[in-house]
Amino acid sequence: MNNLIQNEMMKLLAKKRLVIIGIIVGVLVLMFTYAQYKQVKEQQEKLGTDDWRAALQQQIIDTQNRLGSNRMLDEWREQLQVSLKQQQYYLDHDINPSEPGATTFTRMFLENAIDLFIPLLVMIVASDMVSFENSQGTIKLLLTRPVNRWKILMSKYVTLLLSVSIIVAMTALLSYFLSGLVFGYHGWEAPVITGFGLNGSDVDVSQVRIVEQWRFLLMDMGLVWLVAVVVGTLSFMLSVLVRSTPAGMGIMLAALISGAILNNMVSSWESAKYFFMVNLKLTTYVSGTAPPIEGMTLLSSVITLLVWWALALIVSFTVFTRRDVY
Amino acid sequence: MSKTKVLAVTVVSVVIGLFFLFCLGWAIIDYYGKKASDIGLNETNPIEKNLPEDFTVVALGDSLTRGTGDETGKGYVGLVVEDLESKYNSKPLIHNLGINGQVSQELVQQVKQTEVKRQLHTADVILITIGGNDLFQQGQTLFDYDLTATSELQENYLENLNTIFKEINNVNDKAAILLIGLYNPFIELDEDFDTNRIVRDWNNETAEVVALYKNAIFVPTFDLFQLSVNDYLYSDKFHPNKAGYRLIADRVAPLIQWEDEK
Amino acid sequence: MRNVTLSVKGLKKRIGKREIIKGIDFELNEGEVFGFLGPNGAGKTTTIRMLVGLIKPTSGSIQICGYDVRQDFTKAMQHLGCIVENPELYPFLNGWDNLLHFARMLPDVDESRINEVVELVGLQSRIYDKVKTYSLGMRQRLGIAQAMLNRPKVLVLDEPTNGLDPAGIREMREFIRKLADEEGMSVLVSSHLLSEIQLLCDRVAIIKSGEIIQTDTVESLLTTQERLIWRVWPLEKGKEILSSFTEITVDQDNIITAFNEHETPKWNAALNEAGVKVYEMNRKLPGLEELFLQITGGGGAGIE
Repeated sequence: MNNLIQNEMMKLLAKKRLVIIGIIVGVLVLMFTYAQYKQVKEQQEKLGTDDWRAALQQQIIDTQNRLGSNRMLDEWREQLQVSLKQQQYYLDHDINPSEPGATTFTRMFLENAIDLFIPLLVMIVASDMVSFENSQGTIKLLLTRPVNRWKILMSKYVTLLLSVSIIVAMTALLSYFLSGLVFGYHGWEAPVITGFGLNGSDVDVSQVRIVEQWRFLLMDMGLVWLVAVVVGTLSFMLSVLVRSTPAGMGIMLAALISGAILNNMVSSWESAKYFFMVNLKLTTYVSGTAPPIEGMTLLSSVITLLVWWALALIVSFTVFTRRDVY
Repeated sequence: MSKTKVLAVTVVSVVIGLFFLFCLGWAIIDYYGKKASDIGLNETNPIEKNLPEDFTVVALGDSLTRGTGDETGKGYVGLVVEDLESKYNSKPLIHNLGINGQVSQELVQQVKQTEVKRQLHTADVILITIGGNDLFQQGQTLFDYDLTATSELQENYLENLNTIFKEINNVNDKAAILLIGLYNPFIELDEDFDTNRIVRDWNNETAEVVALYKNAIFVPTFDLFQLSVNDYLYSDKFHPNKAGYRLIADRVAPLIQWEDEK
Repeated sequence: MRNVTLSVKGLKKRIGKREIIKGIDFELNEGEVFGFLGPNGAGKTTTIRMLVGLIKPTSGSIQICGYDVRQDFTKAMQHLGCIVENPELYPFLNGWDNLLHFARMLPDVDESRINEVVELVGLQSRIYDKVKTYSLGMRQRLGIAQAMLNRPKVLVLDEPTNGLDPAGIREMREFIRKLADEEGMSVLVSSHLLSEIQLLCDRVAIIKSGEIIQTDTVESLLTTQERLIWRVWPLEKGKEILSSFTEITVDQDNIITAFNEHETPKWNAALNEAGVKVYEMNRKLPGLEELFLQITGGGGAGIE
């Protein structure tokens, strides 16, 4: 098994996919860093001060004014009210919700990348994992070795898990080190508030507590990793089922994008919460943003994702070990 | 491709993978486990904390402070700041905390907030527009003219106004507080001058309250809009337009003394 | 009797309602090159893929060195080397890494064995180049090297000379013969070049519509169809005499009869007695091609 994994790893590295992913992440991080830097500068110019409290106060006032507009969907109003209450809570307790620094940038970047960007990166590797052997024709050599088929697929899956880990770690490290060039490498100890309970537009602060940012970041990374693994497994399954890489990618891409769209409009369609793509924003539970559908919790989302994960694995292995190769 | 490199990447990624698995477990256990709210929140009073020493203007109040009706978005606050800037060749710091539709009761709540207090504390000038929403309530009061209801509204309003001034003076008794009076947007719709009388009365009572505080100034606007109100109102016939805000700003700006810079 | 290395019994494959392979039986002996022939769609490829475990047969058994491909997949595969269709290798890896990759999937194959097979196919100078820079012939050789890694008892080659130039084809043919004769390997070859099969194989199976029509040694298949060509003068008299013994056909100035070892001297003597001069007697084996068309009945189906 170790030999097989080494083989898969060798092919993965030779294909230089991870390098490409690293470059993509690097470029994106640089872009976001610059955008963020510009935004901060402009805000300072407007406010005349770099005091975050004044900036946050102004955000609160802006939100209040937006809430005053009566042409707003109830659902958005609810979300705005939740974030307003949280902002006020941060302000009242004199905690900067976006302490400047590479650590905060990394946390924000991961939280925003969890439902689309990271899955896309994972897809680059996963959707190719099995189907490239098909298109290359090497599947015929691979399956005529004295090795059971399930072992071959397992070695590929393990390699996928490993590369998913590398991708998530690489994204985190790149965004930390690149953004640190501009924002400085601090913010590890900065306090972050977690544990907001949500009940419609009411924010329950009875269980709120303070976490150092590095802990929060690590928890975020764990959740990002889970999402990456689940999306990777689903792409992996498609890579087994659909023998061409672009087709598999296309299907997965459609699912992910529809998830991003659904997130904004499914609140009235309750059974949509069983779709995996609606459950990808796990970090929002920890930071306390309202979920897309009322009643969704961290646990329900994690379980939904795990069910999809298990089904994808069962399908992959069943099909791969039984299928005739022409 | 060297075998050692492949092996090294494999080992490193295994370690990373296990670490993430641990992080995931931690996140879920932490989320559901530690329900005890061991908040170590700072309850320190942040009022004194570093805001710059610049000349600071804090604007409080309703949509007039926000600048509703001015397509450039400045409102009288923005115009006043521009005037000060060109007069003293230096940009004052401005905190505009105006909220559309705010009534006096809400402003009382707002000035009690820690961060608002902190900003008020550093203010050199405080601009307030309030009461318009108390009185007009989207224009209902004046048409369903009811003397007892109006006087009750007025009483509450004056009481709130008092509280607001007291709260402000608690954190800052040196800043000049400029309370902008009401104009009558319905003056042309009104034939027997009932609304004029109510607004005038309201302004008078307000001025009386303002007079109780020695650092407070009542800035009347009633006269500005009296003769050609439609030239100065926005299409909603309630908020001032750009020209209307200009009139208010022209009256407010000269009252502000920027002593530090002189 | 030599050892049987590959035995196929009652092999059938059904896809949906259509039976593609209708029951195939054959055996491969040690040190034998076995040819597999059939027109397009005859089931050649499907059969080969069933042999190497890519396709599961509906019924029947395949044994490689006594191990059933379905029950003892890994053991059976340890004795099998194969190239199915083109030698598909990883173009982004170099030759050595490709071999390493497949060696890792085999028990007890170490790096010295990799060096051995590289030498065997003569790729030493280019083995550290990326496979995408290889010519087709080099890929073919690397493919064979890969198939040789586990010292297989049975080698299955699907179209081994496909895409090679004439010199390459010859080299390949000699190589395959060497493997069979010196290493005692059983080689199963399918090729669309019938002349190749004729030159290379000891035995041939002819398959059509999912069935083996005939299995025999190349010689015995051909000798039944052997011809004798006579050049005599005068022609008319010669025709008269020979036709009294056997069936004849006339091709320009030649008379063609079947070859019959016992009868030929008699016919010759009769001609001499009658004063017909025999200038030339020429034995001729027909091409496998003609034979193939005869056996499969032409059938309009192109030869693969």
